[in-house]
Amino acid sequence: MIAALGAGDTAAAGPKLLEPERAFAFSVQALDERTIEARFAIANGYYLYREKLHFSIEPATLAAMPTLPPGTIKDDEFFGKVATYRGQLAVRLALAQPAPGTNVTVRAESQGCADAGVCYPPQVQNITVKMPLPGRPPEAPIAATPTRKSWFN
Amino acid sequence: MTTRQVRWALLCAVAGFVALAAGIYAGIDGRDSLTVDMRGKDAAALLGVSLPDTKGKETPLAQWKGKVVVVNFWATWCVPCREEMPEFVVTQRELGGRGVQFVGIAIDQPDKIDAFAAELNLNYPALVGGFGAIELSKTLGNRYGALPFTVIVDRAGRVAHTQLGRLKEPQLRTILTHLL
Repeated sequence: MIAALGAGDTAAAGPKLLEPERAFAFSVQALDERTIEARFAIANGYYLYREKLHFSIEPATLAAMPTLPPGTIKDDEFFGKVATYRGQLAVRLALAQPAPGTNVTVRAESQGCADAGVCYPPQVQNITVKMPLPGRPPEAPIAATPTRKSWFN
Repeated sequence: MTTRQVRWALLCAVAGFVALAAGIYAGIDGRDSLTVDMRGKDAAALLGVSLPDTKGKETPLAQWKGKVVVVNFWATWCVPCREEMPEFVVTQRELGGRGVQFVGIAIDQPDKIDAFAAELNLNYPALVGGFGAIELSKTLGNRYGALPFTVIVDRAGRVAHTQLGRLKEPQLRTILTHLL
């Protein structure tokens, strides 16, 4: 009630925001015995900073640093030209060695903001996937479990 | 309509009016609905906090009890935070003598805080909060744990205003003038 009525035009960031886990929904899918795809589904009106995005895996090691898409260049008053991501982001993580049947934990560190004028602190999310056996189809993507429930739900 | 139904209808009408009035009041007051309404609540938990400055010196907020204390949670990686801070510097300069004290709590590293403070000629304390400060801000109504988040505490030590997102200067001046 108050959220709807009291939102007012003075609320700098609008009447409603998403929890960071929902604004930047992280999921992971093992595509084959040595390839993982990490994805962020970024809600409309939100963006992630490219240079604040880092992936690592355990206990396996990556074949190389993952190639992040170039993103969209934002001309920032303070930071100059910075690359940001909006919408869907997918990053392939190639393991140094095939690891069929083993559990691999993907760790993603990210930081983003809302166009409404607020920024979220850097967040670290972990998702564990089981690498498929050779020739087997990939398992369904696994989404990060939100650690907090929205006050609105 | 039975007496009971009438009573129920009246109760609903009163409840509706109260809710509407609260909503209108919140709108007039400019209260930010992105935060849990903490107005009037005792800010003892916040004023009881002691945090290090960028040189490691413990700085208890209790030293500013009796003043109108504006606690701003910020970070150098937060553009809207950086945008509003020059206005805080001006307001501190102009209203500091009348009992306003700004305190910045940064979720950031000391060297980055120092660099931005120097750039801004920051004239109020910049304390190092770390991620614990986000948790502290949540206890003060910052339901999303986002930045910038500002809490204004009145002279009696009660929460007068909370704001998620930029606190614009006219609104800030209106609130502070009312509290001084």
